[in-house]
Amino acid sequence: MQLIVNPSDELPLFRQVVRQMIEAIAGGRMKSGEQLPSHRDLSEQLVIAPLTVKRAYDELESLGYIETQRGRGTFVCSVLPAVNRKTQREEIARTARRLLSEAYLAGLRLPDVVKILEEADRQVREKK
Amino acid sequence: MNPVLKFEGVYRSYGSTVVLNGVDLAVHPGEVCGLIGRNGAGKTTLLKIGMGMLHPHGGSVRTFGMSPTDEPVSVKKRIGYVAEDQVLPPGSSISDLIAFHRYLFPRWDAGLEKQLLERFSLDPDKKIKHLSKGQAREVALLCAVCHRPELLILDEPAGGLDPATRREFLETSIHLLNQEGTAILFSSHHMGDVERIGGRVVLLDKGKVLLDRDLTTLREEICVAMVPRSVQVPHAFRMEQIPGCLRVRLVFDDWHVVMEGSAEGVRRKISMALGVEDVRCVPMPLEELFIELTGSER
Repeated sequence: MQLIVNPSDELPLFRQVVRQMIEAIAGGRMKSGEQLPSHRDLSEQLVIAPLTVKRAYDELESLGYIETQRGRGTFVCSVLPAVNRKTQREEIARTARRLLSEAYLAGLRLPDVVKILEEADRQVREKK
Repeated sequence: MNPVLKFEGVYRSYGSTVVLNGVDLAVHPGEVCGLIGRNGAGKTTLLKIGMGMLHPHGGSVRTFGMSPTDEPVSVKKRIGYVAEDQVLPPGSSISDLIAFHRYLFPRWDAGLEKQLLERFSLDPDKKIKHLSKGQAREVALLCAVCHRPELLILDEPAGGLDPATRREFLETSIHLLNQEGTAILFSSHHMGDVERIGGRVVLLDKGKVLLDRDLTTLREEICVAMVPRSVQVPHAFRMEQIPGCLRVRLVFDDWHVVMEGSAEGVRRKISMALGVEDVRCVPMPLEELFIELTGSER
C-alpha cells in the first residue's frame, strides 16, 4: 500500500493515513473495488495503534472513499464521491497562491514551479 | 466496562518529598495508555503502586477490582511487567528463565513463547549475562506476556535501546494488543513511540495528572500560541484566566500559551481577549507540547 507515517509531522497520524489514501485513490494507485488491509494488518504494518487505523478508515468512509462490507472487509468505493467542483477549485486556487508565494520567496520562477508540479504529478500517478 | 486499573486520589511521598499528590487515572480493557512526564514526575512510583510493589500513602488503587497489596498473587497472575532497570538472573540461560516462568504461570502459552523466540531470534541456550541490552529486554518482554496477561505494565520499556530494537518492541506490543486485546499502560520518554501506539496520553506533572487526552485528536484540540512579550497587556496571570488555558511561560521574547482549541479558534480567542493582532498559533507534535507544558521559562 506504500504508506508512511511520521509522528513528528504536523498532521495527526490518522489524518496522515487519510491523506495518503485519498492521494492513492485520486492518483489511481488504488482502484475502485480494491480491498484494503484490515485494521490489524495495517496497524502492524505501520506500527501504529489499531484505534488510529480505525479512526482513519471511519473518516475515509464518511467521506465516501471506502466502504465496509460486513464480514468481507473494507473496499475502495465503486462510485467515488462527486466533488463540488466550484469549492474544490477555489480551494486549489488558494493552495496554488500559497505554493507560488513560497516558491518566489525561495527565489524560484514560474517555470521551476511547473517543473516541480510535473514531477509531483508523476509521483502521484506512479503505478504500484 | 470495569477498568482493569484504577487510581483514585493516590498520594505518595518519600520522606518529605511529595511525589504523587492526588492522581486519578483509570485504564480500561484493551486500552493503550502512554504515561509521560519529566524525570521524577512519579511515573515509576505510580506504576509500582498499580503493581502492588509500593503502598499508596493515601487514596485508593484497584487492579482488576482488587487491592494489589492485599491480593498480590491473584493480581500478579493477570499482569505482565517490564521495567528499564529490571535485573534478570545473569547466570541462568534463557530457557531456564522461561521454564521458571512457565512453572509460575499455569496459563503459559507455549505457542506464543515459540513465536516470540523466533521473532526476536533468541537462542534459548544463551546465558542472560551474554545478551545485549536489547536482547535482555526482549527476554523480559517474552516472560511478561506469555501468560497472556490482561494488563501489561511497561516502565520505560525502550529506555536505552536503539531505534530498530525499539521499533521491534513496539511491533510486538501492537501484535499482542491486536491478538489478545491486552490493556497496556506504559511510561516513556520517546514521544514518537507514545504517538505511534498510544490511544491515549497521560501527562504527570508536579504530582498530578496535567493532561489526559485521546491522542488521535490531540493535535487538533490543543495548540500553542505565541504572543510577543512587547505587547503591553500580557501578564501571565491574565492569560491564564482565558478559559482553556493550560500553561503560560516566557520563552525569550514571547509568551508561549498552551490552549485548548484549534489553531484558528485559539488565535481568535487570544486576539480578542488581549486586543492584539500579532498572535501566531500552531498545533504541535507531542514532543513539543510536552516541552511547552513542563519546560521551564527561558
